[in-house]
Amino acid sequence: MIPNPLALIAEVTHRCPLHCVYCSNPRQLVAAKAELATAEWVRVFQEASHLGVLHLHLTGGEPAARVDLQDLIAAGHRTGLYTNLITSGAGLSDARLAALVEAGLDHIQLSFQDSREGPARWIAGAKAHTYKAVLARKIRQFPIAFTVNLVVHRQNLDHIEEMIEFIEQLQPERVEIAHAQYYGWALINRDALLPTPQQLQKCMRAVEASQQRLAGKVRIDCVVPDYYARYPKACMGGWGRHLMLIDPCGQALPCHAAGVIPGMRFANVREHPLEWIWRESPVFQRFRGEHWMPEPCKSCERRTEDLGGCRCQAFLIAGDASVTDPVCSLSPDHHLIEIARSAAQSEAAPVSLSYRTSMG
Amino acid sequence: MASAGSLSNGALAVPRPSETSQPRLACGCRWGTQGEQQVILFPEGMIRVQDTGRRILELCDGHRTVRKIVATLSERYNKADPAIVREDVSSFLEALQRKRIVDY
Repeated sequence: MIPNPLALIAEVTHRCPLHCVYCSNPRQLVAAKAELATAEWVRVFQEASHLGVLHLHLTGGEPAARVDLQDLIAAGHRTGLYTNLITSGAGLSDARLAALVEAGLDHIQLSFQDSREGPARWIAGAKAHTYKAVLARKIRQFPIAFTVNLVVHRQNLDHIEEMIEFIEQLQPERVEIAHAQYYGWALINRDALLPTPQQLQKCMRAVEASQQRLAGKVRIDCVVPDYYARYPKACMGGWGRHLMLIDPCGQALPCHAAGVIPGMRFANVREHPLEWIWRESPVFQRFRGEHWMPEPCKSCERRTEDLGGCRCQAFLIAGDASVTDPVCSLSPDHHLIEIARSAAQSEAAPVSLSYRTSMG
Repeated sequence: MASAGSLSNGALAVPRPSETSQPRLACGCRWGTQGEQQVILFPEGMIRVQDTGRRILELCDGHRTVRKIVATLSERYNKADPAIVREDVSSFLEALQRKRIVDY
């Protein structure tokens, strides 16, 4: 029996005015003219709700780049979904923000690149920091849940305490301190972004101290990044287990990055019902459960917990999506992670970053 | 208390609710359903609330005080010892405040 998905990630557009060097979008971006129309998204949300989905995460690109964002939120809300907007804040005027809340928005997650304007602009390849700080104060005036997301990496971790203090005064209920994950754009920039072990230790100490200090006021989440973990994580809670992602042109993926895996033919919501895609499409069955597992996963007692880790990472690092996630210390490919870590520790040439290219 | 027991008690200390605290669901946390089951939806997920947990949360409207909630529940549970009910209510609300699902 395949459990129902609990969350739908709707990547409603790849358009974005920012060019963040660790963007989780695929390197092959979907053009605006190929995006699903409003009515198509509305049907997808209805199907998702019938399938048992509880949470709708509207993301992008920048979801506010869609002029129909208010209609999308209203449609999600009408079907009973808990609606979450994941945004850089670009394109959210006061009036528009109020309209989104009025349409039924439950939660907004606003991303920050840094506590400082200059470094934030450098990482985002765009001027957005000051605007975000102003927007955060406006968000706080609405009765919705507010999370600040801060992506951390080698270029900003040295002032982690300052960044936490900066976020604290924006008064969110939740803070997600997210270590950059090395897929897509971040993988290209890995040598400049992967933290040193010293930075990581300092980060974890700072996070724990702030969790104690802000207990009951701000919930702070931060997990050890993959490259420094002993065991992998069940990526997205397991392939085809809890959630599905619909990309801007309607392809259904088990996660943000699955497009990199060769040979995957993703079913499209324009051609198939969501329920069929979830239960029967070959892609969602490919790495679901344990049937596909190689050794050392197959006989490992942790297999029900981490489900072999991330398939995309296995492909990107070891060149084969069906092997154990190389992050795992038991993986025969684990030395590739160790090599990446030592590259991060050597003080190399001046930092050069590749920016996410803009959409045509 | 089945629902309270299912919440992990982290090491983070939060202030206890006082007699005059007026607990309510935090911003952006709300009731929903999963099939026949009542759930509380919040940004990262949901919790199934049943039995005592559900009865406590139904009384958390931002107006009733903890004193009133404890009195109501003691009455409802065949005059259960208010000290025990108070303890159960407090630890349940503390766990949810820590998760930023309630405010008091």
